[in-house]
Amino acid sequence: MTEQIDKALAREYEAGFVSDVESETFLPGLDEDVIRRISAMKDEPEWMLEWRLNAFRIWSEMEEPTWAHVHYPEIDFQSISYYSAPKSMKDKPKSLDEVDPELLRTYEKLGIPLIEQQMLAGIAVDAVFDSVSVVTTFREKLSEAGVIFCPISEAIQRYPDLVKKYLGSVVPTKDNYYAALNCAVFTDGSFVFIPKNTRCPMELSTYFRINEQNTGQFERTLIIAEEGSHVSYLEGCTAPQRDENQLHAAVVELVAMDNAEIKYSTVQNWYPGDENGKGGIYNFVTKRGICHTNAKISWTQVETGSSVTWKYPSCILKGDNSIGEFYSVALTRGRQQADTGTKMIHLGKNTRSTIISKGISAGKSNNSYRGLVRMNPGAQGARNFTQCDSLLIGDQCGAHTFPYVESRNPSAIVEHEATTSKVSDEQMFLCQQRGLDPEKAVSMIVNGFCKEVFKELPMEFAVEAGKLLEISLEGSVG
Amino acid sequence: MSEWLTGAIARGQGISDWLAPKRAQALELLSQTAWPTRRTEAWRYTPLRSVERSIAKDQVQTTGLSPVDIADLHMTELVFVNGRFDVQQSSSELPTGLSIVLGSELNNADQALAIEQFSSIKPSRHLFGLVNDALASDVVVVAIAAGADIEKPIRISSLLSSGAEAHTRVQVKLGDGAKATVIEDVQAQGDTLSTAFVEYDIADNARLEHYRFALQTNTNVAIGGSHFNLNNKSKMHSTIVAFGSDLSRLDTDIIHAGEFADAKLNAMYLLDGKELFDLHATVEHAMPNGTTEENVRGIVADRARAVFNGRIHIHRDAQKTLAELNNRNLLMSDKAEINTKPELEIYADDVKCAHGATIAEIDKQALYYLQTRGVSRSKAQVMLNFGFINELIDLMPNAALAEWVRPIIRERFAQMEVK
Repeated sequence: MTEQIDKALAREYEAGFVSDVESETFLPGLDEDVIRRISAMKDEPEWMLEWRLNAFRIWSEMEEPTWAHVHYPEIDFQSISYYSAPKSMKDKPKSLDEVDPELLRTYEKLGIPLIEQQMLAGIAVDAVFDSVSVVTTFREKLSEAGVIFCPISEAIQRYPDLVKKYLGSVVPTKDNYYAALNCAVFTDGSFVFIPKNTRCPMELSTYFRINEQNTGQFERTLIIAEEGSHVSYLEGCTAPQRDENQLHAAVVELVAMDNAEIKYSTVQNWYPGDENGKGGIYNFVTKRGICHTNAKISWTQVETGSSVTWKYPSCILKGDNSIGEFYSVALTRGRQQADTGTKMIHLGKNTRSTIISKGISAGKSNNSYRGLVRMNPGAQGARNFTQCDSLLIGDQCGAHTFPYVESRNPSAIVEHEATTSKVSDEQMFLCQQRGLDPEKAVSMIVNGFCKEVFKELPMEFAVEAGKLLEISLEGSVG
Repeated sequence: MSEWLTGAIARGQGISDWLAPKRAQALELLSQTAWPTRRTEAWRYTPLRSVERSIAKDQVQTTGLSPVDIADLHMTELVFVNGRFDVQQSSSELPTGLSIVLGSELNNADQALAIEQFSSIKPSRHLFGLVNDALASDVVVVAIAAGADIEKPIRISSLLSSGAEAHTRVQVKLGDGAKATVIEDVQAQGDTLSTAFVEYDIADNARLEHYRFALQTNTNVAIGGSHFNLNNKSKMHSTIVAFGSDLSRLDTDIIHAGEFADAKLNAMYLLDGKELFDLHATVEHAMPNGTTEENVRGIVADRARAVFNGRIHIHRDAQKTLAELNNRNLLMSDKAEINTKPELEIYADDVKCAHGATIAEIDKQALYYLQTRGVSRSKAQVMLNFGFINELIDLMPNAALAEWVRPIIRERFAQMEVK
C-alpha cells in the first residue's frame, strides 16, 4: 500500500520537475518537443525517443482515414493533451456519494464488490488490501514460471533487446494513422513475455496490473509467446469506466512463435456518451498478431462501450498450419457507432481461420462488420469460414456488413455468410407466454444469439459479459 | 487526371444538342472527379491503365458490321455501329405499343420528358457513366405503352470495329402493366473502348425480362451499366453472361422505388487468359415489401481476375424486405484471382437479408468419380464447370436464348482446358 502511494507521489514530483507550466498535465498540442518530454518523463533510452520521433514524422504526413462507416466531428489533434499524470488523491472524489448514481446502479447490477466499485470510480481509496495482496502472490507465481508481465515502460528499461526486436514488428509505424500516432505518443501499456515451452500459470489480466490507473489513452501492448508456450490475456473489464480522455488510440501486437498459442479476450465498455452521443469515447484501435508455424491466435471481444469504435483485430497467418480465430459480439445503442471486424491474411500452407461476428444494434446506433480474408498464392490448402450475423432492435438503427474476400490460390477454400434479422415476434411471444417480461425475453434471445462467442470467453468473463449485454439493452425494448 | 479523361471532357464540351443541360451537368461533375486509383473504393481491384493508355480514336470507317443471328429468335433490332444509331440495320416495323426513336427526333413534350429522365436512374457516382452522359452521341428512347405485351425481344446491339471508341445510351420506359424482353449485347472486334449504359424505368405492374451479354474478349475495354427503377408491384428478371477482356466492367443498379417489387438477377462470368471482369451489383430497397434475389457465379482460369461487389442497401422505410445474394466462385489456376465483396447496409429492422460468398476449386471427389467412370480429367473438368454454370442458364426464361448461349459457354470451357 505505502509502495503504491509512494509511487504516485513520486510521479507527481517527476512531472512537476520537467514541466514548470503545469505540474500534472501537458498543455494541449503535439509537436516534437511534446514527444521529447513524454520520453524524458519516462526516462527512456535514446533509441526509443528516436523511434517515437520517426513515428511522429510519419504521422504528420498521413491523412486521417475516412473509409469507416462512422461519423464524428473532426478531431483537432492539437487540442488534446498528450500526457497526464495519474490524478493525485486530493482531486479524486472522496466517497461513492460523489459519484454519478447512474454509474453506481450499473455496478450494483453487475454485482461488483464495494471496494472494486471505489477503485473503478476512481475514488481515493487508501487501503485496497485485497488487490495488493493478490498482485503480490500473482507476481511471485509468474516469476517462478519465468513469465514477464509488466508495464511496457518498465520493459523498455529492463528488457530493451526484446522490446527493440518486437515493438512495431507486427503493426509497423506507418500501418495507419492512429497506429502512427500511438507510436509517437504512447504512454503505457502491458508487456508480456512467455518463455519457451511454458504454459502461463494463470490468466493475465490488465485488471491486476499494478499501475492500471495510469495507462492513459494511448495504450501499447506487446505480447510475445515463445515456441510452444501458451497464454491467455484479458483486457478491460465489464464495469463501465469513466475516462477524461475522449480519444483512445491503442495498439496491440501479438507474436506467436512456432507452436505457441495466444488467446486475447477483451471486454470494452468505455463511456458511450449521453443519449445524443455527446462526450463518448472515440476508440480507434489497431490490434494484430502474427502466427508462426503451427501457432494459434484467438481474438475474442465483447464491445459495448465507446461512442465511436474503429477496431479490427487481425491475424497474419505466416507459418504453415497456423490458426487464426476471431469471435466478436458488438452491441451498439443510443447514438453509438461501431465499425469493427477482422483481417485474416493467409500466407502459409494449410492455414485456417474462423470468424464469428455477432452485431446487435438498438436505438439510433449503427453497427458495421468490416472484414478482410485474403488467401495469398502460397496459402495452399488454406481454409476460412466466416459468419456474420446482425440483430436489429428498433427501427431507427442500422446494421451493415462489408466483407472483403480475396483469393489467389485455387486450393484455398473461403466461405462467407451473413444474415440480418430482428428478434422475431414469435420468439417474443413464446417467451412472454412462459412468463418472461419483454425485457428479459430480449436479453435471453440476445444471449442465445451470442452464445457461440461467449463460450470462447474465460468463464467468469462470459457470465459478466452476459450480464453486461442485459444491462446495455435495458430500455431498448418497446 | 488522365490524359484520356481530359480529352473526353474537351470532346464533350464540343457537343451541343438537345441534351446540353444534362451534358453540362455531367461535365461539371467530371471536372471535380479525381481519376480512380487503387485507393478509390469502386476501382480498388480494377486498374484503369488500359483506359489511360488509349488515345481518343477518330471515328473509324465501318462496313460489314452486323449483329449475330440467334437461331429461332426473331427480334426487334436496335443497332449502334461505333456509337452511331444505324437506321438501316435497326428494325423499321415495330409491333404496336412499341416505339424506338432517336432522342433528337422526339417531339418537344417527349423530349422534355426524356431530358428529365436522363440519368435519373443511373447514379452519378459512376465516372464512366458521366463520360457516357457527356459523350453518347445518339441517345435512343424506347417506350412500351401501358398494357402492351411485346412478345418479340428487343435487342440493343453495340457493334464496334477495331480502333473505335464508342459511347451508346438507351432509355427504356415500360408503361403501366407493360411486358417486354430486352437484350443488351456488345460485339467488338479487336482494340476498342466502349461505354454502354441503359436506364430502365419500369412502371407499376410492368414486367421486364432482361439479358446482358458481355462476350467481347481480347484487348477491348468495355464499361457499361444497366440500371433499373422498379415501381409498385413491378417485376424484373435479369441474366448477365460475361467473359472478360483487357478491362470489362459492368454496373447494375436495381432501385425498389415502389412497394411489392420483385427483382431477380442471375449473373455468370467465365474468365480466361489475362482477362479482367468486374461486376458491381447494387440493390437499393427504398420502399417496403420488396424482394430481391441475386445469384452470381464465376469461373476464373489461367491468369484472369474477377471482381464482384454486391451491395444491398435497405433504407429506413423499406420494412418487410426480403433480400438475398449469393456469390460462388471457382478458381481454376494458381495465377487466377478472385476479389469478392458482398455488402449489406441495413437501416430497417423488420427485414430478412442474407448474403453468402464462397471461393474454392472444383470438387476433387467429383473429378475423381468421373475419372473412375472413364471420363478424361480435362473432359470431367469441363463437365463440372459447365454443370456449375448451367444451373443458372437453366433459369433463363427465354429457352431459345438459353439454347444459343449454351454452346458458346461450352466452347469457352473447352478453350480454357487446352492450356
